[in-house]
Amino acid sequence: MKLALARSSPNVIDGSAASGDLTLSCDVCIVGTGAGGAVTAAILAQAGFDVLLVEEGGYYTSNDFTMREKDVTPRLYQEGGARTTKDLAISILQGKAVGGTTVVNWTTSFRTPEDVVAHWHDKHDVKGFAYADLVPHWDAIEKRLAIAKVPVESLNANNKKLYDGCKALGWEADTLKRNVYLCMQTGFCGLGCPVNAKRSMLVTMIPDAIEANAKLVFRARAERFETKGNTIESLTATLLDAEGIAPTGKKLTVKAKRFVASAGAIGSPALLLRSGLDDGVVGTRTFLHPVIGSGGIYDDEIDAFHGAPQSAASHHFAHRDAEVGFFLEVVPYYPSLTAGAFPGFGAEHLENEKRSKNVATHIALAIDGFHDDVPGGRVTLRPSGAPILDYPIPQKLWSAFRFAQKRLAEMQFASGAKEVMTLHDPISRMKSKDEIDRVVDAAPYDVGRVPVFTAHQMGGCAMGDDPKRAVVRSEDLRHHRVENLFVIDGSVFPTSLGVNPQESIYGLSRLMATRLAARK
Amino acid sequence: MDRRTFLKRGLAGAAVLALGGGTLALLPTKEIAAPTRALAVISARNFQVLVAVAKRVVPDTSDPVAVAHGVDDMLRRTPREVQSDFDKLLGLFENALPGLIFDGRPLPFTRSSPESQDATLRSWRDSRFALRRTGYHALRRICLAVAYGDESSWAAIGYPTPPAGLNAIAYDDSKAGAT
Repeated sequence: MKLALARSSPNVIDGSAASGDLTLSCDVCIVGTGAGGAVTAAILAQAGFDVLLVEEGGYYTSNDFTMREKDVTPRLYQEGGARTTKDLAISILQGKAVGGTTVVNWTTSFRTPEDVVAHWHDKHDVKGFAYADLVPHWDAIEKRLAIAKVPVESLNANNKKLYDGCKALGWEADTLKRNVYLCMQTGFCGLGCPVNAKRSMLVTMIPDAIEANAKLVFRARAERFETKGNTIESLTATLLDAEGIAPTGKKLTVKAKRFVASAGAIGSPALLLRSGLDDGVVGTRTFLHPVIGSGGIYDDEIDAFHGAPQSAASHHFAHRDAEVGFFLEVVPYYPSLTAGAFPGFGAEHLENEKRSKNVATHIALAIDGFHDDVPGGRVTLRPSGAPILDYPIPQKLWSAFRFAQKRLAEMQFASGAKEVMTLHDPISRMKSKDEIDRVVDAAPYDVGRVPVFTAHQMGGCAMGDDPKRAVVRSEDLRHHRVENLFVIDGSVFPTSLGVNPQESIYGLSRLMATRLAARK
Repeated sequence: MDRRTFLKRGLAGAAVLALGGGTLALLPTKEIAAPTRALAVISARNFQVLVAVAKRVVPDTSDPVAVAHGVDDMLRRTPREVQSDFDKLLGLFENALPGLIFDGRPLPFTRSSPESQDATLRSWRDSRFALRRTGYHALRRICLAVAYGDESSWAAIGYPTPPAGLNAIAYDDSKAGAT
């Protein structure tokens, strides 16, 4: 299907333009159009269900993706890119648009590690499916989204430094899989692919769903499910203006046989909480793969703004038994995003910026949720109804950050860095590998001393077969009590994943949508 | 700052207040630059504080008034509680009484010298209180994010203007690459 035809389809309704309240009916109403909602919509619509998608964000297309953060970030990210955890310690990068975070992610595609699925089975009562059940769905998604492993020759300089540094130290490292077709290596994945080389939901499963006659209302913020007993009767949504900021005063009401929450981690638990479905579990165990960074300064030009943002990774330190594991990846240089991450202000900040052409920023992503004393965060509601994530960083995680900081520095020196800087404010600097222990041991790891980021939000509506510990059943992701409510997105993961989440969400959503379609 | 220093500074602050520092501290916010368009989130008074902060934080190639407007614009997308907290944070930053106690600065931020303003920023950065540290970063980061989001700051750091014309060659096929 031509993408322009999908966008202009009469099935696509701009909520901001509605002249009055809208009331729509369908078989299945899906809230959210990201990795979970889009896949679910396409599978159900292709199976003959009358599907309606409800999306808070805008329906932007490649013409809107100007490669300039000023234009794009406010439109495509939650809270205009300024979302943080409650104590402001962690900056949260999370998408908001038709296509969800898949529009702005960096295309990294991993299947869920087999031991993670086994851990869910053993420790979180996830008995409703096995790893083998997911495999055919990953196969299908990989074909649909052109997901393929990239050759080492394609790595840009900052990914190559990670790859080479790990190899030099004898650590596991590999190139990774990306969902791109004829990628032009523009480097702008995080701002929406300007050439549609990224096979995001926006350009694949959303058009698939529309082609199969699904309807989509955008600029409609789902407020709450209206329940009667153990059944949801309708969804109420607020229609927003063309910018997606102010309510127009009009509302959308959807009556459906079944409802699917696919608003993502943070979004789906918030929707359930606003609907009065607080059972004490909703919102808990929200995980982030919290990230710390390290800037390696090299003699050669890195130009980290160019080329695929992520094309190599190391999972060498993913399993650390009693300690929190982590994996190593790369971040691109986007001037606005990086400016906030670089420490200092005024002349000091500008000096670091001026060296940025020679800086490769590598990151460690902590694998949270596998230790009792790393229980993740909790989503609650602000008085306005907007969600807020309280994620106190436990000591065990700070210790993992300090350990990871040292490994990042070792890797950067091993790949030729002349200097390594942490992102502490003030910065801690190392001129050689001999200085790593002394400098990092002296650096403070605490709230507001070193920046922490997340681009991977998971959990908050955990799946599992014990209703005291989980929100939805694992066999079909149906709510434990509400008979016609399903949660299909990254919020159902009972732990983090240890890999970038998009393909895990695609695979699980495709499996569960297929099961749902079979229930007619 | 430990408890002893805190108390000592508190006493010193009270002494300075008694000696007339209080009069200085109570001076109103200085009007630095008028907003060039209507403000959406930030109060008119705190807009002045934001311009003063931006002047110290962003590079010379950026216009602090434009940055302050950009911050105000960005905040429109945040929940109303975040908007209100941010406005309060600016008020706190300006407020000379805590400034006197914690930073030894007897004037509102907008009336302080550039050196004293930088000292205030560093004092928040290094505070033993997480709220002051994260407040510093909230102010610093949002100003820098807006400033470096604008092309005016790119030449100085060697960041190239994105290539033109790419959108025209975007694939227009939902099945492109599917096998």
